[in-house]
Parts: sequence; C-alpha cells; structure tokens
Amino acid sequence: MTLSPCSHEKEVTALLTRGGWPEACAPELRAHVSSCRACGDLVLVTETFQRARADAANAASVISPGALWWRAQLRRRNAAVQRVSKPLLGAQIFALFTCLLIAIAYIVSLVRSGFSWTNWLGELSQPRSLHLDIFWPSLLFYSGWSLVALISMIATLVLLGGVALYLASEKR
Amino acid sequence: MDPKKKRPSMPWESAIPSVFAGVAPQAAEPPMDSDAFAGFYERSARSLWAYLARVSGDPALADDLMQESYLRYLCSSRPGLHLAEGEVAGRRYLFRIASNLLRDHWRRPRSASIEEVPEEFMAASASSVQADSQAMLNPAMALMRPRERQLLWLAHAEGYSHKEIAEITGLANTSIRLLLFRARRKIACLLREQNPKGGER
Repeated sequence: MTLSPCSHEKEVTALLTRGGWPEACAPELRAHVSSCRACGDLVLVTETFQRARADAANAASVISPGALWWRAQLRRRNAAVQRVSKPLLGAQIFALFTCLLIAIAYIVSLVRSGFSWTNWLGELSQPRSLHLDIFWPSLLFYSGWSLVALISMIATLVLLGGVALYLASEKR
Repeated sequence: MDPKKKRPSMPWESAIPSVFAGVAPQAAEPPMDSDAFAGFYERSARSLWAYLARVSGDPALADDLMQESYLRYLCSSRPGLHLAEGEVAGRRYLFRIASNLLRDHWRRPRSASIEEVPEEFMAASASSVQADSQAMLNPAMALMRPRERQLLWLAHAEGYSHKEIAEITGLANTSIRLLLFRARRKIACLLREQNPKGGER
C-alpha cells in the first residue's frame, strides 16, 4: 500500500473537526471528496468515530470525583509513609551490622588475649572474688578496651529494641 | 552564661515529628485542589472512558483503567503543571497514562505482545452494545489490531494531531502518518463492506 496523501486532507479534517461538514463545505470540495478515495475514507471514518464517541460517552459509567480524590489522597499518604520508613529500615540494618561487627571484634579480642572462661570462673570461686568491687578490675584486665565495646553493644541493642517496639506498635 | 550562646532547646522528636507522634506523615500538598479536579474530571471522564472502552472492547476493563488513570494522574507530581499549561495538556497527559495502562494490560502473560491480542476480544462484547454507531463500528474495530484501534480513535474521535498521538502512544512522530493512513484505509474498507449504502460516496 502506497501512501498517497491528498492536498485537501487538511481542509476536510478542519471541516470535520469544527462540525462544518457537509453544510459549510464548498461545492467544489464536496465534489472532490466524492471522487477522492483518501478524502472519502477520511470523511467516512471520522463521522463514524465521532458518532461512536458521542454514544460511548453517553453510556459511560462515571463515579464521583470525590471518591477518586479521596483514594488518591490515601495513596499519596501511603507512599509518603513508605518513603519515611525506608531510612528507618536502613538505620536498623546499619545498627544490626555494627552490632555484629562489635560482637565479632569482642570475641576475637578475647580469644587473642587468652581469655578462658574456666580460669575466669575459677577466680570467681575464690573467696576474694565474692567482693563485687573486684569485678571491674578483673574484667578490664582480661578484656582491655572490650568493656567499652560491651557497653556500646548493649546500648545499641537497647536502641534497636526501642525502634522495634515502636515499629511493632505502629503496625498494630 | 552568655545569652548569645544559649541555643533554643528543640526536642529531638521534632526532627521527625509526625512519625514519633504516631501520626502518618502528611503527603505533600497536591498540586491541584479538589474543585479543580472535579471540574477537570467532569469534562474529561466520559471521553476517556469512551476511548478505553472502544479500544479495549471491554467496558468493565474501561471502568477499572479509567479509575486507575485518574489515580495515577493525581498521584503524579505533574497534574497542576499540566493544568497550568492548559486543560488540553492535562487531558493529553491523562490519555497517555491510560494508553500506558492499556499497553500494560495487553502485555500481561495472557497475550505476549500488543499485536497478538485476539481480535475476537472486541467481537465478544459487541452483543451488549445497543447504539447503531456501535453496532456499525464494533465489527470493523474487532478486525483491527489494538494499535490501529488506538490510533484511529485518537485521531478521528478525539481529534488529536499526529504529534499529540505520538506523545500519547510513545510512537515515533514520523511513523504515525503512515500507520494512521493504513489503518484508516483498512477500516474504511471494512465499514463499506458492512454498510455498502452508508459507505458510498
């Protein structure tokens, strides 16, 4: 099929779009349309589609715009909540990784310094171990900086627990 | 204590107040108000439904897609911008959303490609159609490819230019003319075959 545009096509289209066909059409143009296949197709198709559009528009079942507006607001709000939740989830994952790293570093440092649970428990069983004030020096002796790490780990766990509790209550 | 150095105390919760107050954060203000939307909806809903129903051949699907189109239109960051450009631009954007939804629907596993949608899909719903124009157009539309139905409707029912159709459908501006010409010739032949008296010129 070859593309053979007609020079009158724009003119006919304009008449059809404005609703001036065939009343406002010059007799010469009308004669041309009756003899030109491209223009004849254009008129036939456009008139058929315009009638179909009018019929279909009358048959349309249109719901209230208020309901759509409300649903859109709800969807926007949910999207906003999801946007806010994303950084929280990121923070949780970061805290979890930090916690794990600290725990691993702590265990490695204990193993390297020759810490033995049996020795430590043995010392506890001695009469002097019953005094609570000797716990801190002994812990510091065995683990060095690890006490600080232990405290940070507990703090992180407390923080995570708080966030988890908040999220759980928010979901409910 | 130096009063200049004294900083106003701000509770840390105020950094993200809505979350810690147990209230969902407010969505950004919509770029158009409900009255403007209601007016726009009243003027555009019927033509959008007609487009969706006639191109898909399924009025129930047209209902669903129309609602989804408006929801996406409202949730996009551009509705106000489009309306500021003029209602024609807003309407064009809406038709673009609807066309994308139609394309997504056709691309679902049921049919692998937009060109492989069964033509009988249109004919199936023809029995429920009452109007004369629909009775005349539906059999012909059923024999057209979905893309052709889309182009014909946008050009001849909605009166969009080739450039606007390219924008709505995502096709190249240069190919619209040829595709539309072929589709028009094809449907004109079908209409004349169905209704020889009406098709005579």
